[in-house]
Amino acid sequence: MSASDPRSVPAPLRLRSAAALVRLQRPGRAGRIVLWSVRGIALVLLVAFALTTPGFLTASSLLTMLTTMSFVGCVAVGMTFITLSGNIMSFSLGATLAATTVVFVGASLSIGPWGALLAAFLFSMALTGAQGWVIGYFRANPIIVTMASLALIIGVATWLTGGKGVYPHRGDLDFLKEGRIGPLPLPLAAFLVTVALGQLLLSFTRFGRNLYMVGSNPRAAEAAGIEGWRTVTAAYAVAGLCTAISAVLMAARYSSGDLTQGSGYEYQAISAVLVGGTAIQGGEGSALRTLFGAFVISVVEGLLVLNGFSTQMQYFLVGVIVLGVIMLQTVGGQR
Amino acid sequence: MMPALRRALGNRTLRAFVLLAIIVAVLAAADQGRGRFLNPNTAFSVLQQFATIGPVALALGLTMIIREYDISVGGMISLSGCVAVMVGNWSPVLGVLAAVAVGMTSGAVQGAIMNWLRLSSLGVTLGGLLTLSGLAYVLTGNEAIGYDDIDVAMLMNQPFLGLFSVRNVVAIAAFVVAAVVFARTRIGRDVVAAGSDRRAAMVAGVPVARIVVGVFMISGLLTALAGALLSYSLAAASPIALADALVPATAAAIIGGVSLTGGKGTPVGIAGGVLILCVLRSGLTAIGVAPYMHNIVTGGVLLAVALLDAPDLRRRRLALRRRLGREPAPAD
Repeated sequence: MSASDPRSVPAPLRLRSAAALVRLQRPGRAGRIVLWSVRGIALVLLVAFALTTPGFLTASSLLTMLTTMSFVGCVAVGMTFITLSGNIMSFSLGATLAATTVVFVGASLSIGPWGALLAAFLFSMALTGAQGWVIGYFRANPIIVTMASLALIIGVATWLTGGKGVYPHRGDLDFLKEGRIGPLPLPLAAFLVTVALGQLLLSFTRFGRNLYMVGSNPRAAEAAGIEGWRTVTAAYAVAGLCTAISAVLMAARYSSGDLTQGSGYEYQAISAVLVGGTAIQGGEGSALRTLFGAFVISVVEGLLVLNGFSTQMQYFLVGVIVLGVIMLQTVGGQR
Repeated sequence: MMPALRRALGNRTLRAFVLLAIIVAVLAAADQGRGRFLNPNTAFSVLQQFATIGPVALALGLTMIIREYDISVGGMISLSGCVAVMVGNWSPVLGVLAAVAVGMTSGAVQGAIMNWLRLSSLGVTLGGLLTLSGLAYVLTGNEAIGYDDIDVAMLMNQPFLGLFSVRNVVAIAAFVVAAVVFARTRIGRDVVAAGSDRRAAMVAGVPVARIVVGVFMISGLLTALAGALLSYSLAAASPIALADALVPATAAAIIGGVSLTGGKGTPVGIAGGVLILCVLRSGLTAIGVAPYMHNIVTGGVLLAVALLDAPDLRRRRLALRRRLGREPAPAD
């Protein structure tokens, strides 16, 4: 063993993970003050921008904006559970959404819409939960497993459908398309309910407490008697359920089930999660933060459109915001 | 299992080539001697795909060896294609140079951010991915841009000596350089050290911060090169055209023996992983299997490797067997 061989360093000096490196750098109050002032200034600017943009603060414009946000929003709530569990993100939620629209519409043709609803939820939960099991039980890498699932889902779904979309019987899914709960369109209501239930699950159940523990320190969680793989599997199953909610709403909205729906949603979803302030290393965050993140992103997009910026500019700006938020996180020592 | 074979499978670099030999044999057998698979045309098509996936896989693989992961290649490959075509309509060489400059700058900036704030690469490059692909949308106005210089476009895919083209020679050269640097220079050893145990490497005097920035610059360079030449050869670029490179490139690096836990893998192994994917794709197409099988086979192989490399696989298998009563419980 030569002197330059890293393994000749005594074991206690070694650092096991990149996350541990981050943890060492825990800034104090100064960092937190910077974080909150940047956040405050950003919000004030956003509100000022919103107030001075004509046509933005009207009920119909806001309602349209919030309804559009709901579809990605549901997936983002699901993604929150995966991020919280310490597994960063899933690359397969968009593909799962697409496959679920096909299952939902296909099933609605034979067993009617209500049975199809159940089939879609079970399908998506099982598909995503199975990935969670592989990741939790064997500690397989979450990035690789979900990428493999992405390829498998798209491949098998194209094989089975021949790449063609499926279309519902006329009027079968209208209750999902045109339904309203009070003043709210159904997608928005469903999104808000998903956020509320997700938050309840995180704050007031044993599963939620375990999830935070497993996400922030899997070894300590194991030492405390938590079987980490059960928690991780459940987190993925919840993500599958949230994705299914989005899938049935989209299938109804576009009156079709096909494999192009929801493409790229995993990136939009993780953007909302991170902008909301959930930590990418896991263990800290919430469904409410994701609601906030999705809201901020769609307000920015809406304002840009109304001020004559192109759609392209939105993509770019959201990217910059995500990058900025991630950089700010360490400044504030959010762990 | 024969000891020689077991040793070959134990070595992560060799494992890729053993797998490659098996796949070639299986595909040749599936062809039933009709000569659709084992012929120069398939070999050329394998190398052309190698030119597309190879540099991106090498880029990702190198970042994985230092225990990082550069998701931004997914955006960089589109952006570099757009930059190359826009500048290249004026001068082809300048187009490639501009794309490469964009790639290296983005790598340098992201690497510097990671060092400065001690951030993990996943978060930073996820932001990078969104920013870069957004930039590609802004530059092109979300439209496909044509490349007018047909001669250059033809040249990219023009075969010479039966197997080679400008594009695949560039890719092969990149791998040769990387392999030599890796095996013969101090930089190679420092990269592995930084990936296997960063703190220890720092203590031992490895310039870890410089290695991180350097590897991310190389990652940007390789991805930009692949994106630029591919867009020339397609005579067009658009912000979404090449966005699906992330999954096959990751798959190739992982199959080639690289591990996301760092310190494992070599450029030669990555080349083996890329060849496996390309042979599978070209081979399956050659013997008349529908394209969706690419996805299924890629996903299946990737899932298998993820399982094989899972840290708890052994422990869980033993526990399962014990529960089934096939093996005695341990004494403690």
